[in-house]
Amino acid sequence: MSDIAVRVENLGKCYQIGHAKSGDFRESFDSWINKLRGINNGQTGESKEFWALKDIDFEIKKGEAVGIIGSNGAGKSTLLKILSRITEPTKGRFEINGRVSSLLEVGTGFHPELSGRENIYLNGTILGMKRREIKAKFDEIVAFSGVEKFIDIPVKHYSSGMKVRLAFAVAAHLEPEILIIDEVLAVGDAEFQKKSLGKMEEVTGKGRTVLFVSHNMGAVRDLCSKGVFLSKGTISQQGEMSKVLSDYVNSEAKINKEGGVVVNVSPLDKEGKWLKGTFLKVEVEWARNLFQEGINFDFSMRTVDRVKLFAFSSEKRPDFKDLHKRSKITLLIENIGYVNNELFIDVGFKYVNKDSYEALILNEQLITPSKEKIESFLRRDILVVPGFQYIIE
Amino acid sequence: MHRTIVDADKQKLNLNLRELFNYRDLFLILAYRDLKVRYAQTFLGFFWAFLQPAATLLIFTVVFGRAIQVDTDGVPYPLFAITGMTAWTYFAFVLNQSGNSVIGAQEMVKKIYFPRLVIPLSKAVVGFVDFAIAFLILGVMMLFYCFSPSGNILYLPLFILLTIISALAVGIWLSALTIRYRDFQHVVPFLVQFGLYATPTAYPAETIINSLPDWAVAIYYLNPMAGVVEGFRWSVLGGAPPSDFAYISFVLIGILFMSGLYYFRKVERVMADIV
Repeated sequence: MSDIAVRVENLGKCYQIGHAKSGDFRESFDSWINKLRGINNGQTGESKEFWALKDIDFEIKKGEAVGIIGSNGAGKSTLLKILSRITEPTKGRFEINGRVSSLLEVGTGFHPELSGRENIYLNGTILGMKRREIKAKFDEIVAFSGVEKFIDIPVKHYSSGMKVRLAFAVAAHLEPEILIIDEVLAVGDAEFQKKSLGKMEEVTGKGRTVLFVSHNMGAVRDLCSKGVFLSKGTISQQGEMSKVLSDYVNSEAKINKEGGVVVNVSPLDKEGKWLKGTFLKVEVEWARNLFQEGINFDFSMRTVDRVKLFAFSSEKRPDFKDLHKRSKITLLIENIGYVNNELFIDVGFKYVNKDSYEALILNEQLITPSKEKIESFLRRDILVVPGFQYIIE
Repeated sequence: MHRTIVDADKQKLNLNLRELFNYRDLFLILAYRDLKVRYAQTFLGFFWAFLQPAATLLIFTVVFGRAIQVDTDGVPYPLFAITGMTAWTYFAFVLNQSGNSVIGAQEMVKKIYFPRLVIPLSKAVVGFVDFAIAFLILGVMMLFYCFSPSGNILYLPLFILLTIISALAVGIWLSALTIRYRDFQHVVPFLVQFGLYATPTAYPAETIINSLPDWAVAIYYLNPMAGVVEGFRWSVLGGAPPSDFAYISFVLIGILFMSGLYYFRKVERVMADIV
């Protein structure tokens, strides 16, 4: 017996954009007529091919947890959809050995008119559990969700948080051999997320094969030993999670988001690490004349758990008065003992009297400070101000 | 060991009925959901299930029984009408429900795998409740008119089965077609309305056979329910057995059912992409 749980060979998925295949009776009819008349110009409508996935090859051994990462539109969800058999591949093949459960959403099929109890059965069955399995785990599911008191009232009277908790509780009690999960941990409040992550760790620890997509890099790294980095529908790197993750970070380091602002982060340390006492350079660039007078620059740095470590605003600082005439800010931030394996920064440009940002880069930056164990300064209740300099150009 | 292999180059059109059977829990619970939700927050609740056929029966009796005085060969008209209605109502219900069923379940279809046939099938299960209620009314009517069924009643299970299969056949076709061409959302209500007149529910089939040329009668029997309702009535009330034309309906049901299953399977492949 092989120890391969999932084998994907040369997999590809092609979508027809603007093609008549979906629903336009007249166009379909026209193409039939053309076929009958022997006209084969292949141009019914403006058909355009789009390969959402191409040449995907990988293998997952039994018991391995694999994280799939990549930016939006890289094909992560399409890949999971194919492996979950929701949609069929256009090319290639895959093989899965073992019972699969896929969790692309929590609460699939939930009906507002049904009670919590009924929805547990409904949702559990949809996810592929047998009736007696659900019955056996029912109390456990209810306890995990924490909605015991309301279990017999219709779900439409639940708060959205309660609904999500109930839905996740059902999902968390699936016991397949292979588990396919899309961004489902991004639900519920922080406490529940933690609980869910704990449950996920338990699941991956049990030697179950897991395929996991998430934007939460911390979760991906903690849960998965292997990684697949997708970019524009192809695999750009795969292997050990740490290596894949660092590749991903490097490729994402320069992002050009809406508003034309580019952020570049680089540690100044020779070894490319951000050790205690060294500086991290954050360069924020934008096109000159992008903003009008009165623009302000906000910057903050936080951990995965959204604990703010450091924040900076240019508001009321005289040297930022003519920011709209400039095009670059360089920040130098000292590591005063951040050991969190990753920190996020948010960069935003906002006019003084407006509530919304003109340009905003959130969450995307990922800084990896030194993994070497050094004393942590991280405190939850106060903002620790590091050594900090800025240059405006 | 459970093993799944999907190969884009080697796709067979396989009905895979065993897999469907493995998902029986799912279609039972989906049917339960539909039933439970159907009369939620209504004042009359489950009573609606009786009210609708009773009201239709009343109108039929007034219009066709009293005003037009349809010849029912000695059978009291309400009894005559409810027999036809029992089969027809189930058929109409399944048609109405299954046409839109996959589109209605699109959130599920896009997020999880299961044999999509479960969706229209669960609608057919939901319809059993209305079918049973119609039978109940039929039973009450028979008691009321002291009408004892003939030996033909032995054939009733066969015609019940035919009713279910023809409802499924058309229902499966419509649900698959509706995904491809939303036009069918507008076709279904029309089809149901049209079908009621083109089916011998309110009048006996002989009226059609005696007053139309053979070729027109043959076309009439292309309505699968034409033969089924005729046979259904014969097995409950006795009288003349179904005409030879009825076999057109029966054969058509078989063809529609099998082709419907295959067509559905074919559409199933791209369902999540186009729904």
